[in-house]
Amino acid sequence: MRKQAWAVEVKELTIRFGDFTAVDNISFAVKPGEIFGFLGANGAGKTTTIRTLCGLLVPTSGSARVAGLDFKSGVQALKSKVGYMSQRFTLYNDLTISENMAFAASLRKLKPGVLQSRTRELFKFVEFDYPVKTLVKNLPGGIKQQLSLAASLLHNPEIVFLDEPTAGVSPVIRNKFWALIRKLARAGKTMFVTTHYLQEAEECNRIALMREGRIIALDTPQRLKTQAFPEPLIEINPEVGGSRQWVEKLKLDPRIGCIQPYGRRYHVLIQNQAGWKKVARTMPKSLKTRPIQPSLEDVFIRLVEGGRT
Amino acid sequence: MNPTIKGFLRKEFSQTLRDPRMRVFLFVAPIAQLLIFGYAISTEVRNIRLGVYFSPGDTLAQRIEQRCLASGWFVPAMGPGEDPYRRIQSGRAEAVLIAPPGGLTRAMQRNEGRLQLLVDTTNMIRARGIERYMQMVIQQVISEASPGQEQKPVLNLNLRVLYNPGMQTSFFMVPGVMVMLVCILTILMTSMSLAREKEIGTFETLVAAPIRDWEILLGKTLPFLILGMILVLIILGVAMLIFGLPMTGGFWKFILSSFVFVCTTVSIGTLISTLACNQQQAMMGSFLFMFPGILLSGMMFPIENMPPMLIGIAYLNPLKYFLTLLRNIMLKGGNDQVFWNNLGILALIAVIAIAASFKRFRQTLN
Amino acid sequence: MSAGFRFSRAWSIARKEVRHVRRDPFTLATALGLPILLVVFFGYAIDFNVKDIHMIAADRDNTRASREWLKNFTSSRFFKLEPADPGQDPQSALDTEQAKGVIIIEPGFGNDLGAGRPAEVQILLDGADNSTTGIISGYLIGIQQAAWKKISSGPRVQPLSLQTRFLFNQEQNSRWFVVSGLVVVVIGVLSILLTALTVAREWETGSMELLLSTPVRPLEIIFGKLAPYLGLVLVSVVMVYLVARIQFGLPFMGNHLLFLAGILLFLCLCLAQGLLISVITRQQQLAMQLSFISGLLPTLLLSGFIFPIESMPPFFQYLTYILAPRWFMVISRGLFLKGVGLLELAQPLFMLLLLNLIMMGLALKRFKKDLEP
Repeated sequence: MRKQAWAVEVKELTIRFGDFTAVDNISFAVKPGEIFGFLGANGAGKTTTIRTLCGLLVPTSGSARVAGLDFKSGVQALKSKVGYMSQRFTLYNDLTISENMAFAASLRKLKPGVLQSRTRELFKFVEFDYPVKTLVKNLPGGIKQQLSLAASLLHNPEIVFLDEPTAGVSPVIRNKFWALIRKLARAGKTMFVTTHYLQEAEECNRIALMREGRIIALDTPQRLKTQAFPEPLIEINPEVGGSRQWVEKLKLDPRIGCIQPYGRRYHVLIQNQAGWKKVARTMPKSLKTRPIQPSLEDVFIRLVEGGRT
Repeated sequence: MNPTIKGFLRKEFSQTLRDPRMRVFLFVAPIAQLLIFGYAISTEVRNIRLGVYFSPGDTLAQRIEQRCLASGWFVPAMGPGEDPYRRIQSGRAEAVLIAPPGGLTRAMQRNEGRLQLLVDTTNMIRARGIERYMQMVIQQVISEASPGQEQKPVLNLNLRVLYNPGMQTSFFMVPGVMVMLVCILTILMTSMSLAREKEIGTFETLVAAPIRDWEILLGKTLPFLILGMILVLIILGVAMLIFGLPMTGGFWKFILSSFVFVCTTVSIGTLISTLACNQQQAMMGSFLFMFPGILLSGMMFPIENMPPMLIGIAYLNPLKYFLTLLRNIMLKGGNDQVFWNNLGILALIAVIAIAASFKRFRQTLN
Repeated sequence: MSAGFRFSRAWSIARKEVRHVRRDPFTLATALGLPILLVVFFGYAIDFNVKDIHMIAADRDNTRASREWLKNFTSSRFFKLEPADPGQDPQSALDTEQAKGVIIIEPGFGNDLGAGRPAEVQILLDGADNSTTGIISGYLIGIQQAAWKKISSGPRVQPLSLQTRFLFNQEQNSRWFVVSGLVVVVIGVLSILLTALTVAREWETGSMELLLSTPVRPLEIIFGKLAPYLGLVLVSVVMVYLVARIQFGLPFMGNHLLFLAGILLFLCLCLAQGLLISVITRQQQLAMQLSFISGLLPTLLLSGFIFPIESMPPFFQYLTYILAPRWFMVISRGLFLKGVGLLELAQPLFMLLLLNLIMMGLALKRFKKDLEP
């Protein structure tokens, strides 16, 4: 047994549906105990990749090893090592909490005793304290997600795949949910999370940016930022309405890389410090400027814009 | 027992049976339907609304009218004695008998004894029945009126109706309604339950679990097989206790054929659900199968009378074989040859349906 | 919940629903395929004029008289006569489903006839099969009379004859009977299949709450959701009407406007019924079950389509008074075949209207009650 094995190792994976290439020749690897984020717009191929890694789809070409198993050693063995929480709510609304857990256990052929102790353990872990006889349809949305997570953890999987786990829940619940994900990672589980919230991606150890079936960047959030923005980023805060013309002027300045609107403010990418200083001197006082750290959103926009040219 | 299958059983039963309204529909409604259709439906010609027009003092025509009403086939027409044609058109009378003016007896003496019968032929089966009954009543009245010319019966037709000597409609209808109810409920329950998993997204959970394809398939179908068999027993109980249907051919034959039939319908339900993506589609798909299935079973209309192409299709119809089996086992003593032949074909259809649904099901999984 | 019904909003919901329908092969197959299936089946497959019924003849007398008598059966073309196996018990032909009836002529038949003694023929019928037994026994009476005339020497003068006029369907064409009722079945079955789950699905998936949170009024939602299906059903009604007239040569003796009024009343009633079921159950499986019981089976079995209402026990006859298909059946057959007018149709039309008011009132009341917090 190799000690430092990858939890997930994907090589040149391609998945096609007919003429449509959903995932196009991607390669990456995930360390055990890591929170690995998959970031991209809808239709970028995130869910397809996850479903393949969970053994639900057969890759057209390329290879994938999950928890030390590849597809040749059988999909069933693979499925029993991973937990999967799908994008859609996959518990039964017309069953009670305990019935749902019992059914999830029977799908994994867990013994009743194991079910009892695991459920107790998990409910404590996710801080879930609703009476188990409650029908799931009567639970609030965020609580349902917690229960979903608990159900996918029932068989104590090494790797947990969460497909947009926080879609459509309130920010408070979302924060709580991410605290859980971190807690699970600390407990040694590999967490594989897809999202299209850029804020969430900051929480990951490493993130892969996906676009049109390809991975266009993969690194820690911090390094992604510094790689994508070797030059500092300036924020312009136009307080007076008339200064809008200035922004238009800046756009035409050859020393400015690009300007992105950001709410009422603008993020300006400069080509070099010296050039920016010259520009800044010509600007009126009403335009407040300050150097800022790029957010993942800036990174994303930059990379996507870059991908287009 | 396989814990996964056990889990499925528990889940499906609590899902299906939790809602009290669903329990009513599953178990009480079939009984109510059996009662309604067993009692209400028949093609017998009864309660014919008859209007008779004769001149005053025509005792013979009057006697014919009385005889008609006493026969039990006819009832008096509604409304006043208006124009005979209008009376039929408006539906107040179904048949009108018109005696010649001046009295029937006198007309007969002139050798012009003609009665005119107007019949509403919208329903031609009834129209023919009405004519036949009227002819019988008239002959009877004539032979009574002229005792001298009474004809000796030269030929006696000794007609015996076997298996149902009382000609009870319920004996005809109940096996047919049983086939229909079992077919409708099992196919609909199975196809909609699977389509529901797809519609609400829980299918993903099943697929992501480390279980074999056959375990999912069996887990999703076995509960409905069991429910279907429970339903068969309930319906049988009502048929025997309330309608007094016999079970002349042996209980095991009945159970075995029912089991094979329910296997077939559950598989067909599965097959339909693999083609549908939501419950409404599953319901329509089930209906597109059940409708021709019921009509081509021989339950209401004889198959022998149909065009050759439809007869060909009817030979592929599992309902036809199950109906033949039920009638033979319950009423006709369960002839071994008939039993094994029909059961064999039904089993063959079942095997094909199971294989096809398994194959399609695996395709949807991957 | 004040007024303010806007067609534009209902219309946009309808357009969305049309897009759904167009992409849904099952709905299209049901809406357009089922009427064709119904017409083909009921138009061509059902024939009440029985022919070629399998009978087995065990002629144990085997004289000229018995053979002559049996010829009555073969010449009638209703029956297909086969000689029985000499070694076999004739009744076993019924047990084994080989024949629908058995004719047994015992030895001495010819002698009895010749001597003027009453001769006897035994006929066994399969009482387990309703579809043929009644018809066979009906024909047997006719055959007996024909045979009687032949056997008894010389033509007898009938002192009293019956002249029957078959009104509205002189040729006694069974297709006229069946096809004139098909419009009822098509509307009844289709509207239930298409709409039973449409609204229930919105509740079950929770999208009804979403729709209701928008400024769209509940009535606009309902109208928008149902309008496309109403259109589909009307298309299939026209289809059935054309096939009935052109292919089956049915007459249409009544007024088309009256027919249209009947169709619309009946259709609205079916849709209101579907809506009421959806609102009460809010769950697709339940809605489906309830639709089957309250809509489909009555339309097929209790409307008088095939099984006459007159033959039902009194309780069920009264029960059919509250069933819309029964009244629309009267209208449809009356207009196609009998040429009735407004006067004759006043009762069924009034009943449809009354049932409509009750059903819609209930549906809207339930619907509105559910919306209040």
